[in-house]
Amino acid sequence: MLLIECPWCGERAETEFSYGGEAGIVRPAEPDALSDAEWADYLFNRTNPRGAHRELWNHAQGCRRWFGVERDTVSYKISGSFKLPSGGEA
Amino acid sequence: MSEQRTQVSIVPDTGFINLRGDSQDADFLNAAEAATGQRLPVKANTVSEGELRVYWLGPDEWLLVCPAEKVADVISQLNEKLSGLHVAVNDISGGNTSMHLSGESVRALFSKGCTLDFHPKVFKAGDCAQSGLAKASVLIGLIEGGTTFELIVRRSFAGYMLKWLRHAGREYGIEFT
Ligand SMILES: [Zn+2]
Repeated sequence: MLLIECPWCGERAETEFSYGGEAGIVRPAEPDALSDAEWADYLFNRTNPRGAHRELWNHAQGCRRWFGVERDTVSYKISGSFKLPSGGEA
Repeated sequence: MSEQRTQVSIVPDTGFINLRGDSQDADFLNAAEAATGQRLPVKANTVSEGELRVYWLGPDEWLLVCPAEKVADVISQLNEKLSGLHVAVNDISGGNTSMHLSGESVRALFSKGCTLDFHPKVFKAGDCAQSGLAKASVLIGLIEGGTTFELIVRRSFAGYMLKWLRHAGREYGIEFT
């Protein structure tokens, strides 16, 4: 069981959260201008690192906010949580 | 002995209002206070008690709990005072059930089905939290000076929740009133 730190609620059990994949993936401003390969890259390709990984989590059974977590994909050690650039405040 | 027993009661005719707005916006906070007579709690996972019980649900979301007969009045006050602001006010009374639990063993009882830390030094009067209790999504608050836990569940989960409480609370002599 992981303990994940929600930026608002503090440390809670993993069962309260749902996973949202790699963080920092920005939707292209003009999808129509992209080739199929570029669009597929946005949709499907992820860095999938061995080691530190910045990823999205949702505090689904708590405050229901999205936020970021940095987790080591080998040890599962979580080194910290962060609010998303939008702040998630409103 | 009876006052030490774990008591559960469903609070009938309870009204619930979901309020959303920007907690960074002083105008919003002031208008909400003007409408409800209470300051919205901006500290995470706390509940403020006055005419209403106002639960923090998120950095831009609150749950207002009051007798069902007052809901229409509170909503019209909110709509009037908050008009022009970027907010949402929704009556969700039909979808929720409130139970009040008291007695020495409530913390132990909750701990059987919830991952939150219910130690008295951690979960104190005025605290609240959304979590899972026996896999049901719940909102739990410690109200009335720390004497009563309010347990709010989806209405459709109320029957299941009562069955679970009856079963899990048997060793504590749980009573339903
Ligand atoms: Zn949270």
